[in-house]
Amino acid sequence: MLSCRGLRKDYVTERGAVAAVAGIDLEIAAGRYAAIIGRSGSGKSSLMAMIGGLSRPSQGQVTVDGTDIWSLSENALAAFRNKRIGYVFQFASLLPTLRLVDNVALPAMLGGGGRSSATYARATALLGQMGLGEHLDAYPSEVSAGEQRRAVIARALINEPALILADEPTSDLDEQTEIEIMDELLAVNRERGTTLVLVTHNLALAEQAEQIVHIAHGMIVP
Amino acid sequence: MRLLASLALQNLGRRKARSLLLIMAVAVASGVVFTGATLMRSIDSSMAVGFTRLGADMMAVPEGALTNITAALLTVEPTDLVLDQDLFARAGIASVSRAAPQKIARVEHSGIGSHHDSVDLIGFDPAIDFTVRPWLVEKLNRDMRAGDVILGAARDTVLGSELLIFGKPHTVYGRLGKTGVGTHERGVFMTFDTLEALAGSVHGPSGPPAVLQKGKVSGFLVELAPGATPLQARFAILSTLKGVKVVTGDSTMSGIRQGLAALLNGILALMVLMFASTALMVSVLFSAIVTERRGELGLLKAIGARRGQIVGMMVTEAVIATGAGGLLGVALGVLVMRLYERSLVYYLENIGVPFVWLDGPRIVVVAAAAVVMASIIGALGSLYPAWRASRRDPYDLVRGEG
Repeated sequence: MLSCRGLRKDYVTERGAVAAVAGIDLEIAAGRYAAIIGRSGSGKSSLMAMIGGLSRPSQGQVTVDGTDIWSLSENALAAFRNKRIGYVFQFASLLPTLRLVDNVALPAMLGGGGRSSATYARATALLGQMGLGEHLDAYPSEVSAGEQRRAVIARALINEPALILADEPTSDLDEQTEIEIMDELLAVNRERGTTLVLVTHNLALAEQAEQIVHIAHGMIVP
Repeated sequence: MRLLASLALQNLGRRKARSLLLIMAVAVASGVVFTGATLMRSIDSSMAVGFTRLGADMMAVPEGALTNITAALLTVEPTDLVLDQDLFARAGIASVSRAAPQKIARVEHSGIGSHHDSVDLIGFDPAIDFTVRPWLVEKLNRDMRAGDVILGAARDTVLGSELLIFGKPHTVYGRLGKTGVGTHERGVFMTFDTLEALAGSVHGPSGPPAVLQKGKVSGFLVELAPGATPLQARFAILSTLKGVKVVTGDSTMSGIRQGLAALLNGILALMVLMFASTALMVSVLFSAIVTERRGELGLLKAIGARRGQIVGMMVTEAVIATGAGGLLGVALGVLVMRLYERSLVYYLENIGVPFVWLDGPRIVVVAAAAVVMASIIGALGSLYPAWRASRRDPYDLVRGEG
């Protein structure tokens, strides 16, 4: 499902080039729950950004469902991200001027679906599944951080992606909410068969994963 | 497109104070440009009427012709000598802006006035003329045509009535105001064709006067090109055209006319600079807005927004704000012009100085141009920052870089 070959990311700083990811080979099978763990600054978020088509690698190849994503044109890559990958970031990533239902429907509208009733029916159903059926018309600032994160998961699912990338999705949440959010993500993985890649430094969250990738200094360590 | 417009509107609504300030800034600039352009064009038209009433800058007549110098050069003087009608058109003298040909025949027994009154029949070309038509105080509500005559202020005949000249019927098309110039006040003005049609009835010592022949004129009333001095034009005319004498009018007026034209051009340049500075301000503001919203733009790219959609959203946002500013500016401009009309224009008209407002349709065109220009400024000002942001990787934007 997901394959990385010789993946490398260098950042140019005033003191010279710094390798955030220093040559990673990785395979994750379809439908799996994989956790990428490591300390802050180990390169796990940079790795996830390259896997997710968000940050161009300095070297190497990323293949998702047989597509070499970094060989795609800019617009084709945008369409690929839109249709095939769902993101859950480590910050509250909802547009503050849109209602929750609009935020969830947005990827479908950007992908060419327009403001159709089918798109909104799907967004409403997803928010209902996340326990937010009462908050469809609420703005992000009117709901809690946990509810915002659930809305983000609903948004990640709107185009029924094959892969969900979650980068520290519970880092700013309390313990109880963290458990609830992880339950939602795991349910998506188990019930829909969606591949889930979770980036975390929380070993307890990683223990439930079928595959654990430990990163240190930009490389996979055994 | 609807989605982008909707997002753009919501973004504007998010920072109401900043959006309002941007709209007000553009409104002031657009209002100044709209009001300035409208007033400038109106002042230009008023000046055109006012200054042409003062006559031509100089007169070119056949060498050897006797001329009666008056304060205002409004008509040529009767003479037996003639020039070719296309003399100036052929020469193309750079220091001459306009050269209006006239032919004049002083006749008796024409049927106008008492039996022995001499009457000046003056032919002119309405398309080039700038000394007869500005003096029209009343005219028929149609274009002038063959068979029409315009009467000087000293002749009192009802507009539209029939006037027999050598027994041939003519229609009184218009009447001129008082100028203090005898030839002008007593003259009967008509097109060249109308005057030439009378050639068979006018008898001089050796047949009809030469000036009534087609293609021949008594002289030219000359207006200087912007920036040209009377001396330059005089030299250019005398060195280019043979058999011509130049009679110069009051050079003070030429200087004032050219000075005011230069002043208006200076004001126009200032308005262009003001619009350019507004474009820069919009660009700087949108650079700041893009920087502030990097995370949001990165998120949009991450969930599938294409580069064109990112640029489109930012540009739409700017165009909505600056277009609204343009509309508000036009509304403010209309208010300012109302005040202007009730104060300065009212005063000018009270002291007999004509003020010719730009006509309604043209004001609408200037207003639309001001709104379109304001929108273009928004589009141009936001295009570069939006394009730059759209080129960044989504991850860089989400992390607050770029």
